[in-house]
Amino acid sequence: MALSTLSGKRIAGKAVSGARPPRRVRRQLPTSPWLFAAPGLLITGVFILYPFVSTVINSFTDRRTLIPGQFVGLANFRELLHDDMFWIGLRNSTLYVLGVVPALVILPLLLALLVQKNIPGITFFRSAFYTPVVASIVVVGLIWVWLLDERGLINSLLEAVGIGRVGFLSDQWLLLLSAMAVTVWKGLGYYMIIYLAALANVPRELHEAASVDGAGAVRRFLTVTVPAVRSTMVLVGALSSVAAFKVFSEVYLMAGPSGGPAGEDTTLVMLVQRTGTGLTGRVGYASALSLVVFVVTVALMLLVLRADRREET
Amino acid sequence: MPTSRRTFAAAALAALVLPLSACGSGNDDSGSSDASGKVEGDITFQTWNLKANFKSYFDGLIADFEKQYPGTHVKWIDQPAEGYADKISADAAGGTLPDVVNVSPDLVAPLAKAGLALDLDKAAAKYKKEYLAGAWASHQIPGMTGTYAFPWYLNTGPLFYNKSLFKKAGLDAGSPPKTYDELFADALQMAKKSDGKVATLANVPTIEDFGRYGVALMNKEGTAFTFNDAKGVQLLTKYKELYDAKALDPQALTATPESSGKKFLTEAVAMNPGSALDLGNFKKQAPNLYKNIGITDQITSTGHVNMYVMGVMVNSKTKHTPAAVAFAHYVTDAEHQMSFAKKVAIFPSTAGSLDDPYFTKEDGTDETRVRVAAAKSLKTAVNYTPVLFSEQMKTALRNEVAKALQGKESPKEALDNAVKQCNTLLAQQG
Repeated sequence: MALSTLSGKRIAGKAVSGARPPRRVRRQLPTSPWLFAAPGLLITGVFILYPFVSTVINSFTDRRTLIPGQFVGLANFRELLHDDMFWIGLRNSTLYVLGVVPALVILPLLLALLVQKNIPGITFFRSAFYTPVVASIVVVGLIWVWLLDERGLINSLLEAVGIGRVGFLSDQWLLLLSAMAVTVWKGLGYYMIIYLAALANVPRELHEAASVDGAGAVRRFLTVTVPAVRSTMVLVGALSSVAAFKVFSEVYLMAGPSGGPAGEDTTLVMLVQRTGTGLTGRVGYASALSLVVFVVTVALMLLVLRADRREET
Repeated sequence: MPTSRRTFAAAALAALVLPLSACGSGNDDSGSSDASGKVEGDITFQTWNLKANFKSYFDGLIADFEKQYPGTHVKWIDQPAEGYADKISADAAGGTLPDVVNVSPDLVAPLAKAGLALDLDKAAAKYKKEYLAGAWASHQIPGMTGTYAFPWYLNTGPLFYNKSLFKKAGLDAGSPPKTYDELFADALQMAKKSDGKVATLANVPTIEDFGRYGVALMNKEGTAFTFNDAKGVQLLTKYKELYDAKALDPQALTATPESSGKKFLTEAVAMNPGSALDLGNFKKQAPNLYKNIGITDQITSTGHVNMYVMGVMVNSKTKHTPAAVAFAHYVTDAEHQMSFAKKVAIFPSTAGSLDDPYFTKEDGTDETRVRVAAAKSLKTAVNYTPVLFSEQMKTALRNEVAKALQGKESPKEALDNAVKQCNTLLAQQG
């Protein structure tokens, strides 16, 4: 049945169009797109896929920087469950998400509302708020270290007003909070731009209608602005939570390579760097840590997106 | 012939995998350990952050070598100080380690264990007598036979102190502390008189501090760390007293040598170790401090000051062993070490060089005073940092010391934990 139908179609095709041109097209179609995609695929393969696969494989070995590893099964994962530093890293990375993400979802929105208005000189403020985004994180980190030093500007001001010096860079919790503050300060401008784009799409009529109905500024913000930019808030939440969980530079620059007093400010990515680099680096164990970071990051993304979908339904 | 989807996928996979198969943990192209052949061929020489200040010196050195050995060509590459170990590990893992590499003893150890450093006791034994015995031994690895780098320049330095801060604290600025007991007593007085605003020290004790205090750092076989003995606990207990009294800077737990130096420059701490290089820095960046600078010897309970050793290693996989060994020796021989020492405040590791009048005669300036004192102390100096003490071990020790200072653990518990972690890391090094 099937064969006869197939041959029937083929015969019919030949009879109608002479058959050769369509066949040539069909044969060449699979190759051409692949050729166009090849450079991109190669780059993705070499710089993303291969390192990822290599990391997964290494996580099941005891490979060190200069010594090829042996397969050790789940030993690295068992070890990290008993590694105090892993739990400290997980705690700090999680706290970072909890501390930074709400601030980065809400504050840039408020900032965007402020600079959205077309009043004279507003461009200056827009540019000023965006400046930290383009500044090098190393430079920014060093400036904040100077400002928060025991003898820095902020402590001198606090002493002048009678509060006394605060150990921003010597207390483990204040250090983490200071690093979070820098992350928020540096990220405000970036997310502000995203919100500005979203706010531009909010119909003015909605605000006008709400005003006519007697809604005040706060009410209009909650009932018009927030629902209109909700999908952008989800996007900002997803982006900032992934970035916050993978934080490295701010904490490294402010807490030092050892991760703050007694390593108590170490984040997971700092631990990966400390464990896996150098001539005596434990590449296998660091790969296992990286895999945990990857899984948690993906889970965070899914969580945010799922929450968004649930709200939509 | 049409290209099937499967064929194309296979080709794409091959294109991806084949170039990557070249990546890996080194290659098996064994170079020769025989350095007796003709000195010829192209070699690569890597230095550690020296190009910015000494380009003309190394250009001249390389030109002279190429002239002396026609048929050789030396390509000089310089790497920044930051991330140097990572650069070497990437090169070593990728099989692209240069033929001649500027290293420190702790960098040589893993390279030697991976079979990437040439054993100079075999390949260059005839040169051994040209160097100070201690310097030659500094690139020997416990558990291995052989020497894995030519010793290059040495460095040590005095302890700088701020005379003005000493006077304000009621201390005799002309009589700085000479022993640990005096140091601890002066530091406590400084903190008390300044109401905790001026600390004497800016950094927590490191492995070399334990060594200088007379703590046995490792067992004789070099197979286990032992710095949790009674003497080690005693030193950490003293530091805890200093920390509680703010005689140790509150930010010491996260300090780096750079941040400690800055604290001394801004007169937030009264004492800081340094080298002859720092004097010029004080003069330029902190003229007020320079006027009040006091210079005293490193404090040690062993009678031996700490020294830092730089070496020049030959890659065991080099295709031109005679040229690589000859060049490494050329860079580190007495003549060239001496000429390099006259350009920058470092000290030669070659036998007899430290007896040169340049290192024995003072001309009344602080620079020569520091230089002569350092050269004298180097004759019996010790590199306290064990060659097997990795960055991960330094972090483990630092974190445990911090816990003791914060009172989260007793000094004994902290050192026991540090030793346990370091021994685990040592075992994992293979």
